[in-house]
Amino acid sequence: MLAESLNVFLRLDDAIDGSLVAVIADTETSARSIVGHIRRLHDSASTLATYLDGTSLKAGDLGKEIVESVTCLADIGSFIEGLPAKMERDLASVQALVEEIKTLSDMASDVKAISLQSRLLGLNAAIEASRAGTAGTAFKVVADEMRKLAGNSSAMAVRINTGLSRTQEIVDSGLRFTINESSRQLAGVTKAAESIKKLQANLEDMSQYYKTRFAIVTKHNEDLVKDIAEVLGEIQYQDVVRQCIERIRVAADRRNDALRSALEMPDQSLGQDAGLPRQLELVLNEFLAEEQNHRHSVRQTQGSDAPLKLELF
Amino acid sequence: MAAKTIMIVDDSSTMLMSLRNSLEIAGYKVLEANDGTVALKALQAGNKPDLIITDINMPNMGGIEFIGKARALPGFRFIPILALTTESQQGKRDEAKKLGATGWLLKPVSGTDLNKIIKQVLPGA
Repeated sequence: MLAESLNVFLRLDDAIDGSLVAVIADTETSARSIVGHIRRLHDSASTLATYLDGTSLKAGDLGKEIVESVTCLADIGSFIEGLPAKMERDLASVQALVEEIKTLSDMASDVKAISLQSRLLGLNAAIEASRAGTAGTAFKVVADEMRKLAGNSSAMAVRINTGLSRTQEIVDSGLRFTINESSRQLAGVTKAAESIKKLQANLEDMSQYYKTRFAIVTKHNEDLVKDIAEVLGEIQYQDVVRQCIERIRVAADRRNDALRSALEMPDQSLGQDAGLPRQLELVLNEFLAEEQNHRHSVRQTQGSDAPLKLELF
Repeated sequence: MAAKTIMIVDDSSTMLMSLRNSLEIAGYKVLEANDGTVALKALQAGNKPDLIITDINMPNMGGIEFIGKARALPGFRFIPILALTTESQQGKRDEAKKLGATGWLLKPVSGTDLNKIIKQVLPGA
């Protein structure tokens, strides 16, 4: 009987050892799997960080181009806004100059007419002074002075005309400058369409760029979520192992109870009683049945493509 | 759309931590109970989860008894209840089915698999 008891005892130990070996393998596989998932989490997070850095730099370049286009458009807007006032000012200046030139031109004509009249008067006075002979000598001096005055007036008229011509040139040159300046600014206006086109292209580029980046970031985020979910699943092996150890403890306690009961028997009965091997056999069979009931939760029974352990009623 | 609420019942704090995090990451609200008695009280107090996931072997009140009592509560006739356990004994499965369990799921379950299962038993999740 003692030999039989020891035999069952050893079989129970073997069964316990088998369960312990299985849970040790499970915890090792689970730990390795967690490390693998954490490594993938780290890699995904690093890739994500690199992508976000690149996104920030590229966005900075595109943003700069957009700011340049917008600044150009703002300058054009300011020019167009100030254009009516500028045209009004230029027109008023030109009109004032035209009025001034007209006045000067009239004055020059008057001086010319006075000069002509003075010349005729001087000539007539000279003729009359000749006729008067000696008596006309003094009058001849007056006639000469009249002719000089006519000459001076004529010279003055010439100088006025010269001045007018110069004024005309200045006006022309001023107008040319205004026209050139306006043309330059108008050329800026014609760039507006180009700037708007560039701005639109930049915005489209940026939109496409972000769409692509977001797709990549989303993919990495999904990978992160998936790996986190897998890690959380691996942690559940702690509960599987805990329950296995609890079953072993229950079996060991029951075995020890049976042994203690046997030790309480008289010495001559110890080793002769058939109760001990029966009790140990019972403990062994119940332990094996319990292990059988929980075997599907042991990782070693499942492959990577194992079907989901779900039964819907 | 409002987030669905899932009640998890388990005496293992590790299981509760694992499930709570997996479910919250997936966008669900989570109610926790560490045995059938606590879970039943929470339901009687007016909590109405969209899905219940319960362990089977727990102190005070086990999962099978909890499933039977929860089904008897008004308004809980059709709420899906999944058993999540290391136990695979056919007798216990049959008993849980008889008392109104929706399905039997073996521990451990990854977050990815859990989400697939939830979408199966909880339309619109």
